[in-house]
Amino acid sequence: MTDTPRTLAEELRTRTDSGLAGLLRARPDLLSPVPGDVTQLATRAGTRASVVRAVERLDRFALQTAEALAVAPDPCPYETLGGLMGGDAGDGTVAAELPRAVAALRAQALVWGPDDRLRLVRTARELLTPSATHPSPTGLGPTVAEAAAGMSPGRLQEILATAGLPATHDPVTAVAALTGLFCDRARMAALLDAAPAESVAVLDKLLWGPPYGGVTDRPAGHLQWLLDRGLLLPAGGRNVVLPREAALHLRAGRAHRTPEPLPPVLSPVTERDPQLVDNAAASQAFTALATVEELLKEWDLGGPAVLRAGGMSVRDLKRTATALDTTEQLAAFWLELAYGAGLIASDGEADERYAATPAAEDWLQLPDHERWAVIAGAWLSATRTPGLVGTADAKGRALAALGPNLDRSPAPEVRHRALALLASLPPGTSVPPAAVLARLRWERPLRGAAAGAHEAGPAAPGSAAPGSPAPVEPDLRSRLAQWTLDEAELLGVTGRGALAGHARALLDTEPSATPAERTAAVSRAAALLAPLLPEPLDHVLLQADLTAVAPGPLRRPLAEALDVLADVESKGGATVYRFTPASVRRALDAGRSAAELQEFLGAHSRTPVPQPLAYLIDDVARRHGQLRIGAAAAYLRCDDDALLSEILADRRSAALRLRRLAPTVLAAQTAPDQLLDGLRAMGYAPAAESATGDVLIARTDSYRTAPRTAPTPVPEGPPAPDDTLLAAAVRAIRAGDLAATAERKPVHAPAPAPGALPRTTSAETLATMQAAVLTSSALWIGYVNADGAASQRVIAPVRVEGGFVTAYDHTSDEVRTYPLHRITGVAELADDAV
Amino acid sequence: MNGPLIVQSDKTLLLEVDHELADACRRAIAPFAELERAPEHIHTYRVTPLGLWNARAAGHDAEQVVDALVQFSRYPVPHALLVDIAETMSRYGRLSLTKHPAHGLVLTTTDRPVLEEILRSKKVQPLVGARIDPDSVVVHPSERGQIKQTLLKLGWPAEDLAGYVDGEAHPIELREDGWALRPYQQQAVEGFWHGGSGVVVLPCGAGKTLVGAGAMAQAKATTLILVTNTVSARQWKHELVKRTSLTADEIGEYSGTRKEIRPVTIATYQVLTTKRKGVYPHLELFDSRDWGLIVYDEVHLLPAPVFKFTADLQARRRLGLTATLVREDGRESDVFSLIGPKRFDAPWKEIEAQGYIAPADCVEVRVNLTESERLTYAMAETEEKYRYCATTASKQSVTEALVRRHQGEQTLVIGQYIDQLDELGEHLDAPVIKGETTNAQREKLFDAFREGKISVLVVSKVANFSIDLPEATVAIQVSGTFGSRQEEAQRLGRVLRPKADGHEARFYSVVARDTIDQDFAAHRQRFLAEQGYAYRIVDSDELLAADEEW
Repeated sequence: MTDTPRTLAEELRTRTDSGLAGLLRARPDLLSPVPGDVTQLATRAGTRASVVRAVERLDRFALQTAEALAVAPDPCPYETLGGLMGGDAGDGTVAAELPRAVAALRAQALVWGPDDRLRLVRTARELLTPSATHPSPTGLGPTVAEAAAGMSPGRLQEILATAGLPATHDPVTAVAALTGLFCDRARMAALLDAAPAESVAVLDKLLWGPPYGGVTDRPAGHLQWLLDRGLLLPAGGRNVVLPREAALHLRAGRAHRTPEPLPPVLSPVTERDPQLVDNAAASQAFTALATVEELLKEWDLGGPAVLRAGGMSVRDLKRTATALDTTEQLAAFWLELAYGAGLIASDGEADERYAATPAAEDWLQLPDHERWAVIAGAWLSATRTPGLVGTADAKGRALAALGPNLDRSPAPEVRHRALALLASLPPGTSVPPAAVLARLRWERPLRGAAAGAHEAGPAAPGSAAPGSPAPVEPDLRSRLAQWTLDEAELLGVTGRGALAGHARALLDTEPSATPAERTAAVSRAAALLAPLLPEPLDHVLLQADLTAVAPGPLRRPLAEALDVLADVESKGGATVYRFTPASVRRALDAGRSAAELQEFLGAHSRTPVPQPLAYLIDDVARRHGQLRIGAAAAYLRCDDDALLSEILADRRSAALRLRRLAPTVLAAQTAPDQLLDGLRAMGYAPAAESATGDVLIARTDSYRTAPRTAPTPVPEGPPAPDDTLLAAAVRAIRAGDLAATAERKPVHAPAPAPGALPRTTSAETLATMQAAVLTSSALWIGYVNADGAASQRVIAPVRVEGGFVTAYDHTSDEVRTYPLHRITGVAELADDAV
Repeated sequence: MNGPLIVQSDKTLLLEVDHELADACRRAIAPFAELERAPEHIHTYRVTPLGLWNARAAGHDAEQVVDALVQFSRYPVPHALLVDIAETMSRYGRLSLTKHPAHGLVLTTTDRPVLEEILRSKKVQPLVGARIDPDSVVVHPSERGQIKQTLLKLGWPAEDLAGYVDGEAHPIELREDGWALRPYQQQAVEGFWHGGSGVVVLPCGAGKTLVGAGAMAQAKATTLILVTNTVSARQWKHELVKRTSLTADEIGEYSGTRKEIRPVTIATYQVLTTKRKGVYPHLELFDSRDWGLIVYDEVHLLPAPVFKFTADLQARRRLGLTATLVREDGRESDVFSLIGPKRFDAPWKEIEAQGYIAPADCVEVRVNLTESERLTYAMAETEEKYRYCATTASKQSVTEALVRRHQGEQTLVIGQYIDQLDELGEHLDAPVIKGETTNAQREKLFDAFREGKISVLVVSKVANFSIDLPEATVAIQVSGTFGSRQEEAQRLGRVLRPKADGHEARFYSVVARDTIDQDFAAHRQRFLAEQGYAYRIVDSDELLAADEEW
């Protein structure tokens, strides 16, 4: 083993165990399956998929460093890299941060080799090196050597001469000479000093990329000046490119226009009283609980239907939003939140609907802070993204709430990171969302860079290069972060934009923590939240205008009872209930009695029950149940109530299930005919009665259907042609005949019997069709349509392909396509058919 | 975190009145929140854009509003609500109407995009003239009212700083001999005068006429007073002669019967809105003099055409007087833009507590109908049902019993149906005032009632508005215009005038049990219950039984 490793594998072999462990931690994909040896590890670390994954996870400065290495000579001394990053003049911050970036790249095994021979892993280099189809984020073009590869030696020598260089023997030395000139700051400066102003303007335009431009066959003078000196080199077709060395000279050696060595600062900060923030968050947490509870209540008797493709229909979402008194977007969030927490789900029946789960029952019984722990925990680790609801996926299908394709795997990581950033601020401090988003973008510039990165999978990292058209939509990661901030506010994780005290406990864990650890963290947060949540009350204030005001959240049994007894008029910190006759009746329907209600109100009101309310309850109760409704299959009436008593007393009548409604009326639970039979069997002589009270004469009715129309016959052959059709057919025949000039004789046309379908073998049919296409003649065919109805048509075939014939149909006067297999036979039109 | 105020998500504010900070809180939120309901324990206020703009017009800023909410709120106020309030309030005053020395009336803005936005509106375009500079545009002087209405509808209410014409001067003084404006009346006059134009909200019986007189004494200019009807016009005249330096000759009445135009002219809405051959022949009244002040009585009843005329009177000071800003037709925004923002407001209970209006005991008497009456009621046609149950004989006898019970007290029996009233009048041997009673006869009866010569008066709904019966201590309502809440308030107002002996007023509603009469009564009473006048319910049987023992 030599001092300088020759391959990545060799270098990895020299790393310490902790170094290797660091690599495996940073790139966990290398672990599955566990590599057999270091060579295998190095090979796998060099595979495209793995490298893409690693590059995507670089922060902006490390990525910029990798990009600079990709445009630097391979291997590249540290000083050269420093020059590319900091420019000729040097940049203190860049110089200070660069070792960190290189170390990070090394730790990830993206860069290896000693400092004087830094090498970017070949796959990474391929990914990041600019090419014509794949511009680099640096905006640099190919090197002189690469760009001049296809040029004629003669042209190269001309360029050398124009640039004031001595002629060389071969193209290789010529390229080297030109490269040397471009890299020499002093000579290059002298050369450019002589450039016309317009040429300099062109160079300025190409300077920061994209380095490509187009020229005409006769380039204008200032372009020709550049072309003649190799400052623009041909790049295929009429395209020209600014070679990398020249661009670097113009950029004073910098590979990036703005190196970003430091993460953007989170600013401007707004400081608030932490107590205020915590209270605001707690109140929002309480609202969140109330909203989810309301959703569950709304769906108590079953939720909306599940769409065939999964999810809820837009209409149902709208309805839910109205019920929750919120927007559709927010309704989708609450729905997904409840769904993610396992509180609602599809019932899995044949006629699939959404409904609350048994877990929801348990959840409702929990104390408030534990309920919050359930939904907050579910939210933290959820990959489903309600923010996407209402948008369309890559295939243009609308994404439905609770539907498929809403999962975005980076979501938990982004969520955790965004909250962690807020947690890095002092308590009570908030920053505008844009600052958080900027910071997140710096940390993972490539991850989910393209709007549809999820669909695109491991996209080539260069696809979001500044050279490519800017995506209109913000990238997925930014959107996820924005949603995280919005949702955190809704859930009471943040208050007024600042992370609440209790929410800091949520972030004690690493994103990679086990579920148990995460649950523990959420419980800790909930415990901190508990004292901030309003204490449920056990009383309301009753008022003479028939309202009850609960000046805060109510204990569950009280709230449930009031929900039945009164209508909710307004919600918020307090709840205003209004008693109406309908609401009181609802309570009576639910089995409460007036006395119970009075007592209930008396017990839970801080103030005496107002008289109008007491009257309202009594008034409604007085009328409640005055009318009684029941189901009876038949009735039995008789003017002689003694006879009815006798029947009731008879034990044989028990099977008829009779009940006395009035002295002269019995209701039976058996059908009238059975009742008749039963009473006859008991020796009575009952008579059936019609709806109007007439005695029905017993007579078995014949059974008939409702009025029905007879089925229409399906004709075997074509319908008899009417005159118009006939005229058209004749016209068609004549026209076709005219086209089929007299030269063609029927080769084998045993003219079928008039009216019968022509019959030919399929080979003959095909041959005849093809011939007819060539001669543009009309044919007479027999055709059976999809319903099996046969017809005869005169057609002029235009094209025969793929088992179909496209033809002008003289019979129907249009161009149609016929499947060949449906054509029973074909015959040329007889010459004398005119 | 234990304030008296709870902020609801529908922008209502609940105020716990028994809380020690309740008074301070009420004062803090009154400028921007409209009192909606004031029952015993929890008062409900509503925050509306109009209310917030009213507050802006009165010189309050969003900071104060937000502070008031945050300071008194029991629970954290939703951030979105605070943002919304600040945003809404910031809309007022970005546009203002001012008088330009060269161009006349101009609309100027402090926020150019807003001006650009509203100038693009098709509704604004015909109202404005040339653009003077990027921030101001000429407004046709005749469209001053129109543009204010339109801008309010667009959500950018304009502040009217264009000032007023002084009008033709006319000496008017209050003659405070043995009486003085009450403090709240004084405040109302000052609030109005300071704001230029606007509405003063005072409960019935709180002396709105005197606020009008006070405003006239401030303006010292010819005044046009618009009132609901002739009786009301006479009362205004009577009151003005009594309370001010004006003589009867200086006050003209412009009504269906008389067409006098004097330095102070009192006109009825009815005569103004009379249309003949498609035109309003009495419109010239507005231009007949150079009025310095226009007073609108009962603004909540202002008929739609009057709004239209008012739009053209924007250069004159306008004072609206009303008991409630709630209009059943929902034209509150027209009141805001054309007459002006609310300048003063005091709830009933507060003025009652100060002893300026009498406390009232409201009793609903539930009458059990007889079997045969119930049967007839059950079979009546739907449209006849209310009339039938409201006029049943059982109710009549209970009413008569009530009148007997309060023998010797000044009693008003108020009803809707003339035959019922005639019958009652006959049984009670009391005069009946109805639509066909002449104004002269009405005034004669009112005077007799006032002087105590007669103690029972039966009145139809003609007496709903603006009659002044200071000594009525008992009102018995036997039937009403279905469920009209306004009518209920007006009728209660009849007995709220302070009594000489401090006697508590009584307001009875006689209602037939288990009929739609009861439903309508419930609807009407809701308004009163919301104003803090709780109803007691008494069974007629108990009442009559108690009477017999008596």
